[in-house]
Amino acid sequence: MISLSDIPARGGSPFTPPMIVFLLALATAPFWLEAVGLYSYLGIEITIWILYAMGFNLLFGYAGLHSFGHGAYLGVGAYAFGLFQHHVGVSLWGGLLAAVLAATIAGAAVALFVAHRRGIYFALLTIAFGQVFWFCAIKLRWLTGGEDGLLGIPRPDLVVGPLRVSLQENTSLHWFSAAILGLAMLGLWRLVNAPFGRVLQAIRQNEMRARFAGYDVWRIKWLVFTLSASVAGLAGGLFAMAQESAYPDVMSLHQSGLIVMMILVGGGLVSFWGPVLGVLVYFIARDIIGGITETWLLWFGLMFVVMVMVRPEGAAGLAHVVRARFARAPVKTPVSAPAERSA
Amino acid sequence: MYSLIPHIVNGLTLGLLFALIALGFTLIVGVMEVINLAHGAFFALGAYFALATIGGSWFAGTEFGVWWSSLSPGARYASGLIFGPLCAAGAGMILELCLRPTYGKAPLYGLLLTFGAALVIEELIRLVWGTGEQSLSVPQAINGAFLMGGLIFSKYKFYAAAFSILAIFLVWLFLEKTPYGAIIKAGSHDSEMVRALGFDLGKLRLAVFAFGAALAGLAGVIMAPIWGLRPHIGIDVVIPAFLIIVVGGVGSFWGAVAAAMLVGLAVGITGAYAAAWSMLSMYILLILVVGFRARGLFGRKSALEN
Amino acid sequence: MSNKKFSRRGLLTGATAAVGGVAAFAGPWKHNRAYAQASDKPIRIGITSDASGQYANSGASDRRGMLMAIDEANAKGGVLGRKIEFQHLDTETTAATGSRVAERLITREECGFLVGAVSSGVANAISQVAQRYGVIYLNTNSSSPTESGQNCHRVKFVWDGNGTNFAKAAVKNSIDAYGKKWMLLTNDYGWGHDTAAATKKLLDQYGGEVVEEILVPQGTRDFSAALLKIQQANPDVVAAAVGGDDQVAMRQQVAQLGMGSKPAWINNQQDWPDVYGLPVDNLFGVFGTTWYYGLDLPGVKEFVERYQAAYPDTAMRVPGNVFYNGYMATRELLAAIERADSTNNIAVIKQLEGHKMSAESRMQHHDAWIDPDTHQVQQTVYLATANTEMGDNKDDMFKVLTQSAPEEVRDEGAAAACKLESYDETPSFDA
Repeated sequence: MISLSDIPARGGSPFTPPMIVFLLALATAPFWLEAVGLYSYLGIEITIWILYAMGFNLLFGYAGLHSFGHGAYLGVGAYAFGLFQHHVGVSLWGGLLAAVLAATIAGAAVALFVAHRRGIYFALLTIAFGQVFWFCAIKLRWLTGGEDGLLGIPRPDLVVGPLRVSLQENTSLHWFSAAILGLAMLGLWRLVNAPFGRVLQAIRQNEMRARFAGYDVWRIKWLVFTLSASVAGLAGGLFAMAQESAYPDVMSLHQSGLIVMMILVGGGLVSFWGPVLGVLVYFIARDIIGGITETWLLWFGLMFVVMVMVRPEGAAGLAHVVRARFARAPVKTPVSAPAERSA
Repeated sequence: MYSLIPHIVNGLTLGLLFALIALGFTLIVGVMEVINLAHGAFFALGAYFALATIGGSWFAGTEFGVWWSSLSPGARYASGLIFGPLCAAGAGMILELCLRPTYGKAPLYGLLLTFGAALVIEELIRLVWGTGEQSLSVPQAINGAFLMGGLIFSKYKFYAAAFSILAIFLVWLFLEKTPYGAIIKAGSHDSEMVRALGFDLGKLRLAVFAFGAALAGLAGVIMAPIWGLRPHIGIDVVIPAFLIIVVGGVGSFWGAVAAAMLVGLAVGITGAYAAAWSMLSMYILLILVVGFRARGLFGRKSALEN
Repeated sequence: MSNKKFSRRGLLTGATAAVGGVAAFAGPWKHNRAYAQASDKPIRIGITSDASGQYANSGASDRRGMLMAIDEANAKGGVLGRKIEFQHLDTETTAATGSRVAERLITREECGFLVGAVSSGVANAISQVAQRYGVIYLNTNSSSPTESGQNCHRVKFVWDGNGTNFAKAAVKNSIDAYGKKWMLLTNDYGWGHDTAAATKKLLDQYGGEVVEEILVPQGTRDFSAALLKIQQANPDVVAAAVGGDDQVAMRQQVAQLGMGSKPAWINNQQDWPDVYGLPVDNLFGVFGTTWYYGLDLPGVKEFVERYQAAYPDTAMRVPGNVFYNGYMATRELLAAIERADSTNNIAVIKQLEGHKMSAESRMQHHDAWIDPDTHQVQQTVYLATANTEMGDNKDDMFKVLTQSAPEEVRDEGAAAACKLESYDETPSFDA
């Protein structure tokens, strides 16, 4: 089975052709989205979720730390953005900064506990903390609006120097989110191709060996967890703007599990683009199949189960295999990396 | 202090039922090294199949159906108590077959597959039985309330607690005193050796999964009248189960029971003071225990620690 | 969608023309946007009711009411000569889903009107989105007092009695009949809290005393802890603001413990789908409703027969308040469009505000009207209890105790709390 380390990283170049294609598609989306039967709000949701998923994959795919409670940081970011607008002032950058800061602090605090662990204990602790955040969001009505959520979050205007752009329209918000996603994507690409990215993969493959090689594994785990939470917080702030409200739902175990499913289906375990594919598959399936039947989640779940059984590398892995077959190049023989087997 | 007694009783009853669920869970984890996130779904399946059996909805309108509804509620309930867990066991075996491609790979894949399975089962339940609330009818003999010391207690809760104690005792008996139980215990220590000794590992795994799922289904049938019956009760159950075996220590029988009682008491007692936060108490408990004693109260090192 | 220079239609027709070839091959989910002239264009109504979650049963009933009204209108040739189409999406009793569903119905399905809600959390989420686009939204069955108070919107109209209305009908009578020591059992979300707040205010006003308030989260099934507390505190009355499936579970457990008669129970509003088919023992206490199928008024029997003819296969053999509200709201919306002689949203809003509906047309005891300041329908409120002498007719579960005129139970605080957006702030378009 191929892994993230196998697919050659184009280490030198900050851009890759897929990236340019993707960003172009994202930028022109408002024009062709409705023609294919989708709609602008869905485009925004997909953009925001891709940001969330890519940040999450840093933790899940690259570092191999399987967190099942990541929705908490998306939620914290959303609430922070909303609370900033309500109590401090209506400001776009202020709100986004608050969102990132709040999620970073939350992630850093949780990471202190969980960075020591790995494997199943790690997963369970992340679930527990995720539940704690979710509970607090629901119970602290005076702060978060409880189950009804924090309503009436405005979409502040984008002010850059003398330029003032309104984000009220879904289209403008889409472009803004796409710009943020683009920048984040470039940053993440640089990160995973830098030595830091390699260390993450080393930790994933064998934590003990990485420690013996001299890396401060605990600190790196803490760092990647916090970073991943920050990106989630940024996505959360954008999401609060899109919905004009913040709800506790994204923090639930169910939704934290969904992002994991998206990562796997898309092939985040083997490819940088996995999260993108996974998010696309999920949202389009939800909208299209969901429009036909109310049991769409059943079909998505079945597909997911079959994928885990048959092709855990997900869509990206499948694409890799297909492409290799077309190129008639010798397919990398699936030598199971030692870490893929339980010791 | 006296007024705390009913809450403690509540908590103990909850704890016993949690213990039943946790036992099935820990058996599967012990032998299979798979975290079965679909355990809650088996819990739900047991309850729903029991509902179908008691109500006779499968064969309503047929001659058999007419005869069935003429039976006493007690007889129908008893058969629900048998068939519910049996059907859950069947589902467990199917899941085990689906899990086979993931053996030998990182535990993550098993975890993910069972998570997906849990989702699929919940959606299937929604499809077949609808999304609304259902209620499991119990015979009059164990239903209703009674007065004791000036406080009202629910008869059914006592029955549920008693039944759970019986069930836990039977499981213990099976594991400690029968040869099959010995094989299962051996398998949870060292499955390779068990295979080397000539036992069919495939059959063993199938049997353990069926047994674990049956326990969960049994717990489901018993808890449904207390907790209500709707498609997503599975999720409400699987995380506490997971939590309990970690707190108690993976692979330990008495650890699971002790931890379950602890969790039940925590939930019950916080129910007296801050009812809205009672479910949160178990997560706090987990964080505290695992924070201080990494392997839980009675845990041994296991393959899960990769 | 708010730019008055480009209509939504204009932008879309342009885009459609530009990519018409692609659209033809875009797949089974393609949405047909080739409309004929305005007079042939159907009126599209988006139905936002819950098909899953705590309020699934009520959501289904709500929907049936709307559909019956739509069918009746189409049978008469539509409205303004245009056929009425609808699109239903499940809001899952979840606010976040409601938000998304509203966006989709408005932008992709091109619905000019949205109808339906049972949970006030979902209603709020939907109305926020609707207000941004200017789409009229009928909140059929959510009864949080804030719906017509701080969460009111120019495009939103509330068709149900709210927690304050029912509390006003019940509280004073109950203090006199049962006593001053009260406990509150509240579902921990918007409607529960707002209803409990209204009850507390009335208790203050009439000399009652709140011993304790117990909060139960949505989705609670095990009420034993709460019931134990109630049993130990021994109040005169328990005012419960618990809804949907939670209420079904609560009723079952209270009946099991034999606590239905002491203390006295006030259940604020009782939705018919939540009690239909339950044993009479579970129907303890006094509760409110806006309508009952057994009211001895002209038109009721025919209405029930129309329901039975339209829905012969549903488990509920007679309609209740949820169906009734869904039907009435949709019927009045279509009538307002006729009166306005246009589907311009501002014109229709103006027709709805202040509109009076006679008691006969509503099958209630008193005339009703839509309050122009809060957009809530002021209507008759009934108090009822279990009908212990129902005999063979198992459907006749309620015994109506009193009926109050709208003025007697009016929510005084709502007008002060409600700040409707101005007409100019609300985007205008022709549906």
